[in-house]
Amino acid sequence: MTSHRTSRVALIDRLQPLRFSFDGKEYQGYKGDTLASALLANGVRVMGRSFKYHRPRGPWGAWVDDPNAIMTVTLNGRTFPNCPATTTPLVEGMQARAVNAWPSAAFDIKSGLDVFHRWLSAGFYYKTFMWPNWHLFEPMIRKMAGLGDISRDVLKGYSADQVFDHCQVLVIGGGAAGLAAARAAAEAGKGVVLVDDHPVLGGGLHQMPEIEGIAPADWIAEQASAITSAGGRILTATTAFGVYDHGLVGLAENGPFGTAPRLHRMRAERIVLATGALDRPITFTGNDRPGVMSVDGACEYLARYGVLVGRRIALVSNNSLADAAEVMLKEAGAQLIRLNPHDGPLQALGGKQTKGISQGSQHHAVDTILASGGMTPLVHLWRHAGGKLDWCEIRQALLPGTAPDGMVAVGAVNGAFDLDVSLSEARTAGAGKTPGVSPTSYGLAALWPDPGSKGRQWIDFQHDVTLKDVELAARENYVSVEHLKRYTTLGMASDQGKTSNMAGLAAMAAVQGRPLPEVGTTTFRPPFVPVPLEMYHGHHGKQLWHPLKRLALEPQHRAAEAALGEYGGWLRPGWYGRGKAKNLIHQEVLTARTSAGIFDASPLGKIEVLGPDAEAFVNFIYYNTISTLKPGHIRYGFMLTEGGSVMDDGVIARLDQNRFVISCSSSHVDSVRTHLEAWRQDGNDPDRIFIHDLTQHWATITVAGPKARDILAALALDVDLPAQEFPHMTLRETRFDDTPLRIARVSFTGDLSYELSIRRTKAPALWDAVVKAGVALEAAPIGIEALSILRAEKGYIMVGKDTDGETMPHDLGFGIPRLKKPVAFIGDRSLHSDKANASNRKALVGLAVPTGDTLLPTGAHLVEDTPPRSLGYVTSSYDSPTLGHPIALGLVENGAARIGETVSVWHLGDIRKATICAPCAFDPEGERLNA
Amino acid sequence: MRDDSEKWDVPQPIDCVHKANGITLAPATLSRQVLFSGPSVLAQTEQPIASWPDIVAAHSYALSIRRDRVLQVNGPAASEGWHGDTCQAVTDASDAYAVFDISGERSLEVLKRGAELSLDVPSKSVARILFNLGVFLYRYEAETKFRIHVASGHAEALVRSLKVAIAAS
Repeated sequence: MTSHRTSRVALIDRLQPLRFSFDGKEYQGYKGDTLASALLANGVRVMGRSFKYHRPRGPWGAWVDDPNAIMTVTLNGRTFPNCPATTTPLVEGMQARAVNAWPSAAFDIKSGLDVFHRWLSAGFYYKTFMWPNWHLFEPMIRKMAGLGDISRDVLKGYSADQVFDHCQVLVIGGGAAGLAAARAAAEAGKGVVLVDDHPVLGGGLHQMPEIEGIAPADWIAEQASAITSAGGRILTATTAFGVYDHGLVGLAENGPFGTAPRLHRMRAERIVLATGALDRPITFTGNDRPGVMSVDGACEYLARYGVLVGRRIALVSNNSLADAAEVMLKEAGAQLIRLNPHDGPLQALGGKQTKGISQGSQHHAVDTILASGGMTPLVHLWRHAGGKLDWCEIRQALLPGTAPDGMVAVGAVNGAFDLDVSLSEARTAGAGKTPGVSPTSYGLAALWPDPGSKGRQWIDFQHDVTLKDVELAARENYVSVEHLKRYTTLGMASDQGKTSNMAGLAAMAAVQGRPLPEVGTTTFRPPFVPVPLEMYHGHHGKQLWHPLKRLALEPQHRAAEAALGEYGGWLRPGWYGRGKAKNLIHQEVLTARTSAGIFDASPLGKIEVLGPDAEAFVNFIYYNTISTLKPGHIRYGFMLTEGGSVMDDGVIARLDQNRFVISCSSSHVDSVRTHLEAWRQDGNDPDRIFIHDLTQHWATITVAGPKARDILAALALDVDLPAQEFPHMTLRETRFDDTPLRIARVSFTGDLSYELSIRRTKAPALWDAVVKAGVALEAAPIGIEALSILRAEKGYIMVGKDTDGETMPHDLGFGIPRLKKPVAFIGDRSLHSDKANASNRKALVGLAVPTGDTLLPTGAHLVEDTPPRSLGYVTSSYDSPTLGHPIALGLVENGAARIGETVSVWHLGDIRKATICAPCAFDPEGERLNA
Repeated sequence: MRDDSEKWDVPQPIDCVHKANGITLAPATLSRQVLFSGPSVLAQTEQPIASWPDIVAAHSYALSIRRDRVLQVNGPAASEGWHGDTCQAVTDASDAYAVFDISGERSLEVLKRGAELSLDVPSKSVARILFNLGVFLYRYEAETKFRIHVASGHAEALVRSLKVAIAAS
C-alpha cells in the first residue's frame, strides 16, 4: 500500500474501529475518520471518475477543496448521493460507491471515452449535436451527465430544523485566527458565535508541533474554554455557506450522517472572516492522476487521521510553506524529494496509480506527488457580501480589498500566512478594530499555466477542463471569465472554483497576454459547499407550504362529506357528497334553483372603513358613486386600478354615517386591504380614515334560492323579512343566539338571497340551524362549483376569471360612471384614454353552442377566419343543469356589436362554432330576485 | 376542480393542549379583543401597552400594532363605530384572532424557529412574522411564557408549525 495509517497521534479514536465498504469491498477505519481518510489508510487511491472522460480520480485535498472523491453512500437502507468523501464522517456499516463509475471506480466501463478526448473538447456538443436536432441527443447527454443518481425513495423523517439566530460578532473559521478573534471579541464583552465546518476545532493547527509554547490541542482547548467562559458560543461541524444582505449568514450545522443539516439564519452585527487559504494545484502534464495531491491536504491527512498519503513522495512547490510540510512528512516516515517546478516541465507518470514524475530528462520513481502552486485565500464569503478583491503581487493571490459593511478578514484569508501575524490580526479584529496591512515572510515564485506547452494538463479535475480547453475558448472568443466558465464548465458543480478558479483565470490571462488582475474573477455565489435542498425546505412542506386558511365550519363540511379544495387561499367545499362530482354539483345547482342552496361564504371580505372622511374615501375608491348610499343600504361596484382596469367587484354596505363595510371577493381581501391602506395615506388624511379588516372575525352563511326567505323565517330572527320590509340590496342588524348578526340581502345567483354574517365562533350554531331549517324545504349545502355555475347562468362575472388585466368596467356593461360621475375616482383618467375608447376593446359576452353540442373549452379562442386571428377567448364555460345546455362567457372584440354573430372557436387545432349572445342566460328580467 | 380533502388534516380542536419537550402550547381564552384606531390612540389608551420584550402582567392590556392602532385585550365592552369625541374607530375583533400561550424554559428557542427574535432588541410593536404568518407576539405573565395572536384562519397552520418546532427543539 502506498498510503497507509501511521502511529502518529491524531484525532481518530483507535479504540473504535468501524467497518464499511467501498465499491463492494470491505474495509476498516476508525471513529473520527472521513470516508476518504479511511480509504487512504487502506491504500485505496482511486475513489472516483471524472465527469467527462471518466478518468480515475483520487483525492486532491482533505476537506472541502477536494473535487474528486464523490460517493453515493447507503446507511441503514437509506441512500444519499453526491457525498464528498473528504467531508463525510465514517460510520459503522456505510456502503459507499463512487459516482459516475460502473462497476467501480477502479474499473469503469466508460473509461474508454478518454480515448476520444480529441473530439470531446470544450463545447463539443454545441458543435456536434446540432444536426438533425439537439433535442434528439439531449436525453442521452443528460443521462450521461451529472454525478450521483438521486434515490426515488422518500427519506422518511429526513427533515431539516431551521433556526433564526442573532449575534454581535460571528467568527467564521475555527483555526488559529478564528479562535483568537473569537476569544478577543468575547472577552471584550461581545456576544460571539464561532463556527467551524470541522467537527474538531483548530484548522491547520494540528499539523504544528506547538503554538505559543504549548501543544496545539491544549492551545485550542484553552481558547475554546475562554470563549465559552466569556459567554460565547461555538458551533462545530457547521459551515457558513452563504452571506446575504444585512449581515445574514447561512449556517449549515451537520448532525449525524443521514440527518438533514440544521439551518441557522444567523444575523450578525459584525462578521470576522477567518476561513483560511487553500493550496492551488500546479498545472502540468498528468496532474490529474490519483496520487497527485495538495501539500496541505497530505499534511491534514497525517495530522487529523494519522494517514501518510505515500511512501515515496515528490514535493513540488513554489512557496516557503512547503518547508514545514517536508519536515512533518519525513518525520512520519516518508521518503521525500523536493522539486522546483521552475526547473523544467513536469509530467506525472503512471496510470491509475502514480509511478513517478519526470522533469526534463530527470525521472523520479515516486508513488505520490504533492503539489502547491501557492496559496489561494478562501474569499468566497467575502465576495458573497459584496467585498472587493485586490491583487497581491507578493502573494500572487487575490486578497480581500475594500470591505463590505460589518465584515473584516483575518489570518490566511487575508494573506497572513505567518502564524504570529495571523494571531495579531485576529486579536485586533476581535477587539473591534480593523487590522492594517501585515508584513509576511511568505515567499513564492509566480507559477501559472503555460499555454502552448505539451501534454494534457488539467485545470478543473472534476469537469475535465484542460489547459487546451481554455486555449480553445480563447480562440473562439469566449474570453470573458464568465463566458469561459460556461463554455468550458470550469469551476462548476461542487468545486465552485476552489481548486480550478485561479488556474483557469491565469491560463486565460496568459493566453491573452494580459495581467491576471485584468482578467478578473467569476462571481461567487452561495452555497460555498453543496447543501441538501431539504435544508432550505425545512418544515415548509405539504400543509405548511403556503398553508391555506381554514374555515370555522370545516368540521361541519367534513361531516357533510364535502370535497375540499383550495379556492383563493382558503380550504373550501367544492361540492358535497360521494359519487360523480359533476352529478353532485348539478344536483346542488338544481337544489339552489328549486329550493335554496346553503353556502359557506365566510372568506368574503369584511373590510370596514371608518372615520369622518370615510364617505368621501369610498366614493374615491369605487368606480360607482357611493356617497349617495344611505345607512342600511348596499351597492354593487367596481374598484379599479390607476390604469382603469377592474381589480375587484363586490358590494359595499353603509352601517352609519361614518362606517362602511366592503365585501370584496374572497381571494382579493389582502390586495383590497392593501389598496385601501395605500390610498388612505396618499392624497387623503390618514387621521380621518381607518381601515379595519375583520374578514376573519365574521363568518358568512349565504342562503340563496326561492325558499330562502322561508328558511330565514324558521330561524325566528327579530327582523321583518317580506320584500317590502327588507328589499334587495339592504342590510339589517339583529341577533342570533344573543350574538350580533348582520343580514345582507344581496345575490350572486340571481335568486332571492341572504348573506348572514356572525362572529366566527358562533358560526357552527348558525350553520346547524340554517341547515336544519332547510331540510324540510329540501334545501341543502352547496359548494363553490355549484355557485360558479349559478352565477355564470346569470352572466355574473368573477374578476380575474372573466376579466383580464386590461378589462375596464365599460367592457362589462358598466359605462355610466365613466361618463357621469362628477368627482374624481381611482382609474378615472385612464378610462378616457384612446385605448379605453378604442372600438375594438374586448367586451363581456355570452356564447351559445348549437343544440346538442358539448360545452366550449375554457380558454378557447374565438377567431376570425380571414385573416386568421384571435378576437377573444372563452373565460367561463359550464353545462347548465338549469337550462339543460352548455353556457359560456367570453371576452371578444367589440362584443356588444357582435350579438347574434356566429364565430369560429379554435382550441388545440379543433374548430367549432358558437353564437355570441348576451351574458345573462337565465332570468334576464331578474324576476327571481324577489322569489 | 378536485377533491383535496385527504391532503389536509382535520383541524385539531381549538382547546387542545399540547405538551412535549418541556414546552406547553395551550389556547388562551380571552373575554374580548377590540381594535381601536385613531391619531392619538396610543396616548389615549388607559390599559398598559405591551411591547417587546416586556412581560405583560395585567389581565386587561393593549397591544401596539402600529402608530395609530391598538388591539385591546380583555378590555371593557366598547360601542363599535366612529367615536368623534375621541377620534377613534372601534370594532370588535374577538374572533378575528386565535390566541395561544407557549410556555417552558426553552419556549424562546421554539419561537426562534419561526422568526428572528432577540430579547435584547426592543420594539414598541408586537406585530411579527412568525413561521411566515402575521402574528402579535409578546411575553405574558412570565419570562418564559409567550402569547401569540394569529388570524383565526391560520390558527391551524400556526399550531402545526409550533408543534414541529417543539419537536425539533
